[in-house]
Amino acid sequence: MAETVVKLRLNQQQLELIDRTIAQGVAPDRLALVRLALHEYAAARKAQGNQANNSGKMEGAQ
Amino acid sequence: MTDRQILSEFVIEPGTGKAIELLKGQILRVEQVEGGQCADFNCFNLHDYKEFMHCGRTRTVHGFHPTKGTFMWSAPPRERAMLYILEDTVGRNDVLFPRCSAYVYEASYGFAVHTNCHDIQAEAQREYGLTPDDVHDSFNLFMCTGVDEDGHAFMTRQTTKPGDHVDLLALMDVLAVPNVCGADVMKTSNFALKPLKLTVFAADDADLARVPKTPTLASQRTPKDFRNPTIKTDRPLRRDPAYRAEFPNTPIVITELAISLSPAELEMFNAVKRRDIYGEDDAAALRDLLFSWWEERFLLAHAGAPAIESK
Repeated sequence: MAETVVKLRLNQQQLELIDRTIAQGVAPDRLALVRLALHEYAAARKAQGNQANNSGKMEGAQ
Repeated sequence: MTDRQILSEFVIEPGTGKAIELLKGQILRVEQVEGGQCADFNCFNLHDYKEFMHCGRTRTVHGFHPTKGTFMWSAPPRERAMLYILEDTVGRNDVLFPRCSAYVYEASYGFAVHTNCHDIQAEAQREYGLTPDDVHDSFNLFMCTGVDEDGHAFMTRQTTKPGDHVDLLALMDVLAVPNVCGADVMKTSNFALKPLKLTVFAADDADLARVPKTPTLASQRTPKDFRNPTIKTDRPLRRDPAYRAEFPNTPIVITELAISLSPAELEMFNAVKRRDIYGEDDAAALRDLLFSWWEERFLLAHAGAPAIESK
């Protein structure tokens, strides 16, 4: 299936923060950093969902 | 207890306060004499009164009830740790409520004149040439407060006993101004005004060693960094015809980054994106996700609060 393109709009301060994060070695470039954020954010929500299910509670995405 | 050297002692009677020069490395103890008395407190940089303790900044860093092991911070753009709370035998203080004022007692209780923390503070610091406009919100020692479910701050009675105290260690030379809170028709001091004892000690090496290091950053600016360092000495406001705006980091410029998501990533995104806030605006939802992730992974303090750990 084709990839979907989302056009992220960031200002220079936001770009500075993500570029500093990249400079720390967290990801090789901006695209990779956004993908890493998506994967980790989704994984954390999934873990929270599982935890809530196991304890009988279910909360929406935060 | 300690062998600290006592430098001075005072008792402040109900309805009064006292401005005290507290030098770096000295400790001010505010102590209950009878118990059950709130002390309002603020301080100024002794060498520049425009730097003062800011409840808003202190509240953001340490929460609504700062106690032993926390700092009192000055207002932006100074944002320095002015005092360190070295000891607190009760552990219940307040930075939610402002100082009480004459207006409160007139509007709510009908008093033409009544003891109140604003006027007591103003009178105490008048000894150093300050005016009633130079009173700022107080750090309320021993005041027991909380927040209702509807979002209003409330106060209740305190359980302090004679001898309970808070020790404040000066991290810079300050003018410390404690006062006996003037509220006798509220729960603040259990419906009675009582004296408070003040003692100034010289801190010993063990005291000084207990203070955590805080960062020194370029953003902690002083008048030498200000575009206008001159204190205005008249009251009317007039436009400066030579003024040219110099807002930092402006203009704000937007850059578009095309992010390709695989079908699996799109499914992942759709499962977690904040559709409730951004609707079908996937660009805004992805930006939210990016910075929410960043906060969770890298932020050392509560969002909106400065990190105070020194690296």
